Amino acid sequence: MSQGQLRGKIALVTGGRGGIGRGICERFAKEGATVIAADIAQGEGALPESVHYERLDVTDEDNVHALMQALGEKYGKLDILVNAAAIEIEKTIEETSLQDWNNIFAINVTGMFLVCKYAVPFMRLAGGGSIINFGSYDGFIADPSLAAYCATKGAVHALTKAMACDYGPENIRVNAVCPGFIDTPMLQSFFGSSGDIDTLKEEVRRIHPMRRYGTPADIASLVNWLAGDESVYASGQLWILDGGLTAQVQQMRL
Amino acid sequence: MSALNGKVAIVTGGGRGIGRAVVDRYLANGAQVLSCGRGKRPADLPEAVVWVQADLSRLEDVKRVRSSVLESFGRVDILVNNAGVQVEKTVTETTDDEWDLVMGVNAKAVFLCCRELIKDLGHAGAGVIINLGSISANVADPSMAIYNASKAFVHGLTRSIAVDHGKDGVRCNAICPGWIMTEMAEAGFDLAANPQAAKRDALARHAVGRFGKPEDVAGLALWLASDDSAYASGQMFVIDGGLTAASPLQPGLF
Repeated sequence: MSQGQLRGKIALVTGGRGGIGRGICERFAKEGATVIAADIAQGEGALPESVHYERLDVTDEDNVHALMQALGEKYGKLDILVNAAAIEIEKTIEETSLQDWNNIFAINVTGMFLVCKYAVPFMRLAGGGSIINFGSYDGFIADPSLAAYCATKGAVHALTKAMACDYGPENIRVNAVCPGFIDTPMLQSFFGSSGDIDTLKEEVRRIHPMRRYGTPADIASLVNWLAGDESVYASGQLWILDGGLTAQVQQMRL
Repeated sequence: MSALNGKVAIVTGGGRGIGRAVVDRYLANGAQVLSCGRGKRPADLPEAVVWVQADLSRLEDVKRVRSSVLESFGRVDILVNNAGVQVEKTVTETTDDEWDLVMGVNAKAVFLCCRELIKDLGHAGAGVIINLGSISANVADPSMAIYNASKAFVHGLTRSIAVDHGKDGVRCNAICPGWIMTEMAEAGFDLAANPQAAKRDALARHAVGRFGKPEDVAGLALWLASDDSAYASGQMFVIDGGLTAASPLQPGLF
């Protein structure tokens, strides 16, 4: 699609240094938006020069509040918020400690709540906006040994719909993107915990109707659409992007 | 914008309503378009569009559409199965002829168009099928029994094509519009005891505060046809202004 469709828009991307977050920042920058990448990570993950980096711990209410105030003073509004900050824990519930559980919920769910809570007033100043949350196909169907992660994504899906209902009248749209297998450091870690990586990768490709897994650029294309004016009637939905993976039933080897 | 430069699209039922908005959007984005319908060529259809008068529930008519697109443009990249009809009746009120009409246009025609065109669509390795499903396939509209069922067929077929023909270079997705103000939707309101009150109530149930427009659907149809959605397949994408994200029980309305 043509470039420049986000010109004049102010966009905040949490988890902006992660695999998917970086892809989104790059795309937004290419489309002409003013992009702020917020992340707890400071060193890793190179960003395009035009993208502003802000350190953010989404679980820290004071930190979130202060960042929003600073952005509000600097830009006067916020048009686009992408909540991409998330972690995963590769454990069953018996292996998961209460601390693990509280930690993943703090980042994946509470963090989203806090960032949205303090971002909405600045979207109001923009006369509306688009919030894009990161759900997952794991919020619908589970991967083994990802119990707490799956639960956080289910919570994200419900929160997405709830916010869409509450803020629709103010022209703030809220949607979730639900990726399948995307080639990121998080996926490498998931593979790494399950034995021989190369065999596993081939298996995973084979099971996708499109015979590949996704890239951060694939996800950024959907996020870009949801952020822009082409999607003005889309709200409250969970947008699965998975190369056809979850359209099929479990694949048995016959 | 020229997201569809060099692409050839078939949009069934492109004479008016949603189909017409898709035709216009595709043209504006550089595609060459063939459309078809049971009636004569609409007088206001842009000259660039090739029109074929056809009843797509008949195989010979589908074959005519195929040879016409290949003769006119030499290829086909995008198939939008948009043509649809509705009969506003419960199961006990529905006659055999009405069943044949609704299932013929909404179900059989989609099957026939896909079957006859998949090979041509997959030729360049990036074929796209976009079917018009409906939120009514997931949650029933009262007194629309066979229509609702026909749209559930479309959703099932969409998943199957994505799963079976992903390896043949074809992506297949469905768009599920909510209330889009077309002649078909007006007819739905006419069923109410008090159409004006029904419209007010329906409006209050939309988070974004308005009914959809054909252009809203065209925005999604453009994204799904473009390379920006290259990893999207096998999904039902809902575009309903937040309608089905909300619970039907809204005490504020009573």
